[in-house]
Amino acid sequence: MATNPATYSPSQSLERRQQQQRRKIFLQADWTRTDGRSFHQCRPAFMRTGASNAASGSAYAEFGGTKVIVSVFGPRESKKAMMYSDTGRLNCNVSYTTFSTPTRGQGSDHKEYSSMLHKALEGAIILETFPKTTVDVFALVLESGGSDLPVIISCASLALADAGIMMYDLVSSVSVSCFGNNLVIDPTAEEEACQDGSLMIACMPARYEVTQLTLTGEWSTAKINEAMELCLDACLKLANIMRSCLKEIAS
Amino acid sequence: MRDLQLSLNQTQRVRLQAALQQLQDLASQAAGSSSVTIADTIPVNNEDGILKGHGTSELDGQVVATLCGVVERVNKLVYVRALRARYKPEVGDIIVGRVIEIAPKRWRLEINFSQDAVLMLSSMNLPDGIQRRRTAVDELNMRTIFEENDVVCAEVRGFQHDGSLHLQARSQKYGKLERGQLLTVPAYLVKRRKQHFHHLEQYCVDLILGCNGFIWVGEHLETGENNMLEDREKRPETSKSNMIHEEQEQTFTPLEVRQHICRIANAVRLLAALGFILTVESIVDTAEASASSNIEIKDMLGPEFYVQTVEREVQRRILLSRKRV
Amino acid sequence: MVGLSTGEKHFIHGGIAQDLRSDGRKRLHFRPISVETGVIPQANGSARVRLGATDVIVSIKAELGKPNSFQPDKGKVAIFIDCSPTAAPEFEGRGGEELSSELSVALERCFLGGKTGTGAGIDLSSLIVVEGKVCWDLYIDGLVISSDGNLLDALAAAIKVALSNTGIPKVNVDLGASPDDQPEVDVSDEEFLQFDTSGVPVVVTLTKVGRHYIVDATLEEESQMSSAVSVSVNRHGHICGLTKRGGAGLDPSVILDMISVAKHVSQNLISVLDSEIAAAEANADE
Repeated sequence: MATNPATYSPSQSLERRQQQQRRKIFLQADWTRTDGRSFHQCRPAFMRTGASNAASGSAYAEFGGTKVIVSVFGPRESKKAMMYSDTGRLNCNVSYTTFSTPTRGQGSDHKEYSSMLHKALEGAIILETFPKTTVDVFALVLESGGSDLPVIISCASLALADAGIMMYDLVSSVSVSCFGNNLVIDPTAEEEACQDGSLMIACMPARYEVTQLTLTGEWSTAKINEAMELCLDACLKLANIMRSCLKEIAS
Repeated sequence: MRDLQLSLNQTQRVRLQAALQQLQDLASQAAGSSSVTIADTIPVNNEDGILKGHGTSELDGQVVATLCGVVERVNKLVYVRALRARYKPEVGDIIVGRVIEIAPKRWRLEINFSQDAVLMLSSMNLPDGIQRRRTAVDELNMRTIFEENDVVCAEVRGFQHDGSLHLQARSQKYGKLERGQLLTVPAYLVKRRKQHFHHLEQYCVDLILGCNGFIWVGEHLETGENNMLEDREKRPETSKSNMIHEEQEQTFTPLEVRQHICRIANAVRLLAALGFILTVESIVDTAEASASSNIEIKDMLGPEFYVQTVEREVQRRILLSRKRV
Repeated sequence: MVGLSTGEKHFIHGGIAQDLRSDGRKRLHFRPISVETGVIPQANGSARVRLGATDVIVSIKAELGKPNSFQPDKGKVAIFIDCSPTAAPEFEGRGGEELSSELSVALERCFLGGKTGTGAGIDLSSLIVVEGKVCWDLYIDGLVISSDGNLLDALAAAIKVALSNTGIPKVNVDLGASPDDQPEVDVSDEEFLQFDTSGVPVVVTLTKVGRHYIVDATLEEESQMSSAVSVSVNRHGHICGLTKRGGAGLDPSVILDMISVAKHVSQNLISVLDSEIAAAEANADE
């Protein structure tokens, strides 16, 4: 089956770009990133609360090409008939729009991210303050441009704060990709597609506690140390941005 | 030998097989009655006009078993005693159960029976120990006596006319069990005896063999004092701040007692895995044998002690059968 | 899931603080582990691992497929975990789905390495038959038969054992005349190639209860956890994947400490598994 050169297919152009990228990485030790950032520099973060009217709280985040909207509903009466419990329940759902990726996707729910989001936020929310009720967190990825999950987590914690839910601390999250010996913070989708390994941290910066941590690829302990420090540092900075964003609407 | 999940080496395997063979031989000597499986015909003399009991049915004029078990005959009654069955309560049984629900004026307990048991507020002694009518305030405070998931020891009081099972806890020895672990074994391994509460003085451990197969092994508490209200005050809080950790550590079971508890609990686990009857003697024997042969507590569930225990049981039964003869 | 009374919870916390758990183990002791190989004859490789009362089966099937166009030089591996209702009544219907997908994701993270395949326990490029045309698809199916905690470690161990038991049929390839033709593939019924398992990691889950952490937690102990970190470590002591469960936050220094403990424990586990694999193979040969 010969391909017809006249039809345009974005998936192939993406593939080509990725192969170029990969070649670039393997050829030179210090390549430059497509958006001109240095390895340890995050994308400019733009965050706003109040993106949706119907929700009790919501937030919009834009990190380079990654655009996410999160709404929080509740606390409201648990729909599911549950056993008596003196703590509240947190329900998280992450979904992608059909136009979020270069090729038109399914636009379906993302189960893996949903459960990761749940685990990242669970520890920060004071669930005891709303017994027998549920808080729903719905995240929608408008555009997937890499580091989706960290952006969703940070944005969701902002939306929770906006909804007036009691929390121990904000949760900010950052990931790094590993390419050979290089650590690249806040990777884009292209970079993520050809990374050797990745590490994602969600933390509560004021308490200096990690709520979620995942790692793929082969790492030595020293490398983990370095990557964690890099991430935590970036989390602190991101938290300051989130804080100032919340202060802005208050003033 | 249902859950044999150990990797035995060659000699251990040979020893185990020899011991099991001996056990089987002994058992077949002892078993005077015939064992049946489902759909086996039970030989009866039809002229006697026998009564068909539990676990039997009639097919083409013959009596057929509907259970796996041993045929028992009492005068004209023929019934099958099941080998493995769920717990069947009898009035006066001492049982250990877990609270699953608090309903108006009653607690519901899971007791390993086909239905939940009911413990009425009116059939237990209140913490203040005074005999009086139960008030609405008592009813509101039920959660301070037993909460959901609490382990409770009680006695079977009787069956209601609707078939539900009622319990009572009218003595100091009954009530909430704390500071220990609950083990679940098949109910048929616990035989009804005079005494189900055991205070193992040498170990400072309480052992309660519930007839329903729930076994409690815990730190010994004096039953004389009424500690229900006190407990409420020193109860560990579930919140996880560090301050409370310090407090918690002071109320932990002492290490020495804990070692005894674990050793006895593992003896129960081992005997239950082997399918041997659980009595206080057999449990203490096993625990002592492990201690005297310097087997670490965690290794009690390992292959070597497993085989040893089977061999010891063989010796015991041989002795018993000699005595009988 | 059984509930525990406050008294029992307190007892478990105390045992972990005093380094003597309810079944007599210390904090860093595993339960007795038993291994069987070749339990499913239809599969290319299979194993059953029992860790105390936790019981899992893993079967591995290899099928010929077409490589992904993004990675023409690599085969494909998929991990599916099924929590059977035989393990617990809660798993019936969709009840086990959440746990199943969580386990599958964690295992994929541990075994398949990064996007480019570095640090992968299973070398994907060894699964290729004809580049860009034919490769082996490895389907790893795990089944939880009975669950008494620490499912992830048991499943990972079972996958490791099953992989060492896996034989991939030898294939003779007849490349077509023109490069566009689909090559003819002849799968041998008799000759099998052993899978290289030297790089397959093990997973050690450290469960934090109170201020201490324990390995190989039972279901009762897991219900008391504040958080748990699963670390997958290979033979060289390199970390191949890490997952955190449980909501409570952890201090970064505690995480690093847990990683180093996991590294230490994993080396023992690897050697125990190696000898169990050897014993199981010897048994199967008899």
